[in-house]
Amino acid sequence: MIKFKNVSTIYDNDESIEILNGVNLEIKDGEFVSIIGPAGAGKSTLLRLLTHEILPYKGEVILDGVNLAEISSKAIPLLRRKIGTVYQDFKLLSAKTAFENVAFAMEVCGADKGEINSDVPKILGIVGLGDKLKSFPHQLSGGEKQRLAIARALIHRPRIILADEPTGNLDLVNGYDVVKLLMKINELGTTVILATHNREVVNAIGRRVISMEKGKIVRDQIENGKYVI
Amino acid sequence: MKESFKRIFDVGWANFKRNSYLSMGTTGVMVLVLFLFSGLMSLNFIASQIVSGLEEKVDVSVYFKNDASEEEIAKVKSDLESLGTVKNVEYVSKDQALSEFKERHAGDTLVQDSLAELDENPLQASLNVKADDSSQYASIVTFLEGNKFRSLVDKINFYENEQVIARVLAISGGLQNWGFLITMALALIAILVTFNTVRLTIYSQKQEIEIMRLVGGSNWHIKAPYLVEGGMYGALAAGIVAIIFYPVAFFISPKIEVLMPGVSLIGYFASNIIQFISLLFFIGILLGVTSSFVAIRRFLVI
Repeated sequence: MIKFKNVSTIYDNDESIEILNGVNLEIKDGEFVSIIGPAGAGKSTLLRLLTHEILPYKGEVILDGVNLAEISSKAIPLLRRKIGTVYQDFKLLSAKTAFENVAFAMEVCGADKGEINSDVPKILGIVGLGDKLKSFPHQLSGGEKQRLAIARALIHRPRIILADEPTGNLDLVNGYDVVKLLMKINELGTTVILATHNREVVNAIGRRVISMEKGKIVRDQIENGKYVI
Repeated sequence: MKESFKRIFDVGWANFKRNSYLSMGTTGVMVLVLFLFSGLMSLNFIASQIVSGLEEKVDVSVYFKNDASEEEIAKVKSDLESLGTVKNVEYVSKDQALSEFKERHAGDTLVQDSLAELDENPLQASLNVKADDSSQYASIVTFLEGNKFRSLVDKINFYENEQVIARVLAISGGLQNWGFLITMALALIAILVTFNTVRLTIYSQKQEIEIMRLVGGSNWHIKAPYLVEGGMYGALAAGIVAIIFYPVAFFISPKIEVLMPGVSLIGYFASNIIQFISLLFFIGILLGVTSSFVAIRRFLVI
């Protein structure tokens, strides 16, 4: 269970620039939530609060009953291992191969070599990169890079997947592939939070849709939501 | 545990190989730095040889009146030897002094003829005193002045040599102090250059480090391979310097020996080869690892 209680954030310690303004939100385990809104609405900030990249200026972000502002710096990696994140700019390790990029996420969780060698090719096969194990990110197309990023986000079986504009750098076909993959993951019980401004994608998903504007939640369609700002 | 060490080394080695241009650049800078260290060590060795050579030449001679008996002189000698500050005392008898004098002026007929005309030996018996440290001569002379056999002593040449001894002391002290200061200053520059080079190398991987943090990597999990990589730059640089330094020392050593006889650079480094190479590796690896350690900290804040 994820809870945002009256959360406000500011930009660069400047109180006059508020990014989120009194956000209240609850997301239950296993939900698929699309967060929509124009650029600058605060969608990415909402996700970055969950990975402890930023802290709220006011209010509380609570994950499984724990206030994230109160966890120690040693617990931050543990928190991030519960969450798989997919970014618009992929954030792949450019000096590592596709195999090593995914393996890294397993290594940090303490997986042994045997597990890594059996799981990584499997997941890369699932996302359609079975023949690209030894390719470096610069040798992959945009769609392949995003699928690799998803494979990395999934490999340690996280309970939550955060996808920040995962289709932003992709063409229509590749974008749909990525969304279908996210829906499949959600069917297996993983909570998915998708931040996007892609109307077609949101309408095709037809699940809970939260609209944001200027740092506030302006609409929350619990079921069969559509892209409405 | 074993597997995790192996992973750290494997990843460190893979980083090292894949960033080959950067690795070579960083290693190159560290080679220059370690060469500078080796050069400084050579200079310190030469300076210490010059200082000890100069100090070796300084002594104080105590000349005895003709009526002093050998027993009395031997007593003064043993008194002097019992002083902690005295390195050794050499007794030169009247006859010995004469024969040495004759030998020294063997080609000078005027001196030889004048000596032949004298009925008795005009030279005095003496004690040559060498101190452990040239700054101790003054206290040795004070001791002699207060000795009960003072009346047997004709003169002590310290007073004539006092200025020379003071100059030697000033030069050797200056060489040591300035040598130390210059070594420290250059070593500091070398450390800063290495640190900045390693920092730039790691800076180029800033984004990667941040991504590793976002994927859930703990600080040590991310840091350790970079420390290994830094150590590898240092180790490779130390190896290269060891291979180049000895032939260079071999080539330069005879030229230094021409200027300063008895100073063998290659002899010094050859007899200390294991210590010297171990020191190179130690400094290289320590510099690499420490620089990486400090440099990476800044990028682990996310």
